[in-house]
Amino acid sequence: MQQLKANLIEHIKTSFKDARVQDYPDENRLDFYVNKQCIPSILTYAKDRLGYIHLSHIAIVDWLEEGEFELIYIIWSPEEKIKMFVRTRLDRENPVIANIDMIWRQANTYEREFREMYGIQFQGLEAPEEFILEDWNGPPPMRRDFDTEAYANETFFHRPGREDALDVREEIIKRSREEIPEFAKKYSR
Amino acid sequence: MREKATTLYFGPQHPGITGNMMVRVKVEGDTIVKATTEVGYLHRAFEKLQEKRNWLQSFTMMCRFCVPETDPMEESYSRAVEAIEGREVPERAKYIRVMVLELARLASFMLWYGGQNGSLGLYTMGQWSVGDRNYILDLFEELTGGRVYHMYIWPGGVRRDLPKGFEQKVLKTLDYLENRLNDYDDLMFDNAIFKKRTQGVGIVDKGKAIEHGVVGAVLRGCGIKSDIRIDDPYEVYDKLDFEVPTAEGGDIWARALVRRQEARQSIRIIRQAIADMPGGSFYNKIPNPQKWTIPKGDAYVRTESVRGEIGMYIASDGGTMPRRVHLRGAAYVHGITLLEDVLMGENIADISAIMNSLGTCPPEIER
Repeated sequence: MQQLKANLIEHIKTSFKDARVQDYPDENRLDFYVNKQCIPSILTYAKDRLGYIHLSHIAIVDWLEEGEFELIYIIWSPEEKIKMFVRTRLDRENPVIANIDMIWRQANTYEREFREMYGIQFQGLEAPEEFILEDWNGPPPMRRDFDTEAYANETFFHRPGREDALDVREEIIKRSREEIPEFAKKYSR
Repeated sequence: MREKATTLYFGPQHPGITGNMMVRVKVEGDTIVKATTEVGYLHRAFEKLQEKRNWLQSFTMMCRFCVPETDPMEESYSRAVEAIEGREVPERAKYIRVMVLELARLASFMLWYGGQNGSLGLYTMGQWSVGDRNYILDLFEELTGGRVYHMYIWPGGVRRDLPKGFEQKVLKTLDYLENRLNDYDDLMFDNAIFKKRTQGVGIVDKGKAIEHGVVGAVLRGCGIKSDIRIDDPYEVYDKLDFEVPTAEGGDIWARALVRRQEARQSIRIIRQAIADMPGGSFYNKIPNPQKWTIPKGDAYVRTESVRGEIGMYIASDGGTMPRRVHLRGAAYVHGITLLEDVLMGENIADISAIMNSLGTCPPEIER
């Protein structure tokens, strides 16, 4: 396994000099940190030359405090049985990256979702504008700074006569005359 | 002469659809010339909610991602959390997990038997198999308290030990189900209608499978021997002896042949897991969930479900709540780009059978 990983690191480092590597010696996992411009070429290289034919997942994390999105392309080689994490960061203010659905067709679905839910622009992506949301004109809702509760309170109104459903805990206390335990108070409004 | 093209809406309320989704099909005569998947009827924002729940509260949502087979999500969440935290899981818990996962697979196979045949108008099978599935749900109820949502495989092990005499009950149920699978064969695989409606229909060839990132029985149905339990083993699958069936052809028939064998392999695995199960602890206790922090890091783990590979990416920022939980369901891949591709040129009457065969589960697409 370690020999396979060493070969893999050498191959990637030869072709992509800026790639930073993190190894997990106890696991069948290898992480590469690359610039977003390298993503299509490194994935094509891994698929065509190194046998990483399976795109298992594209994960996305919103690092709000750092002002960046992280995209993690997780690819798998059935021969080497190593999971390769190809990671890149995008500026939250202007998140633009090339699309890769010509390499793996299913990436199209991920990109449509990320475009809608995180506001990431995938250059060259051809897909209908709407995916899951319909007639949505608010901010991308999966971003961490999107406050679901505040949005719902601003956008929708409470049905008259259902005021008792606004805070169920308070209502239960009123009716049962029981105290909220100390640890649960922070969940009460 | 070309016939006039018509656009039809298959779903979201249609007895043949596999869940809350729609396929917009353009047909000429009854041949599909274009198919477009429309989702958005079911989004529950689980992954958004999990950002504001602690690690244990998040866990309770995992089983709700997809109803037919709930345990792979629980297991993959738990295993990912354990991987980031470095938490050891007792050996006994691993065997119990395998037993539960395979029971869940069996229950899911039973639903598939019903769905696949029901989509072709063969309703007897559904009545048999869904009835038999209840015997497995009875076991789950005794073990976990829930029939469909179990919340049993949690971080650190499993929630409680096996009740007294539970292994014997499982073995007895397996004996019964094994016999029933022979009855299913007579009803399904010797049925001329089933053969006629499935052979050469909904073909996924090897090239298309790689291009679309196909997984699970759909991949094995086009002759590629791939199974997460063998390729990237987890829990104690590497200590158990079982086979990975494949079939040639890539059509609904081939996928049905694969699943038929896989149901038997699941029975074989459960028997081994019970025979080899060691004693001892079943749970490595987690700290107070209110104060339980997971070190900064991330993990991606995969579990083999009936529909294919379930992936779970979890990132932690070192706090008491997940930074990100991101599920990859098999249907996320099979239900959109692949389905749209496979439906081209097929008969409109086969849409439901193809969707069932690909394991399209909309709750996995929009979590």
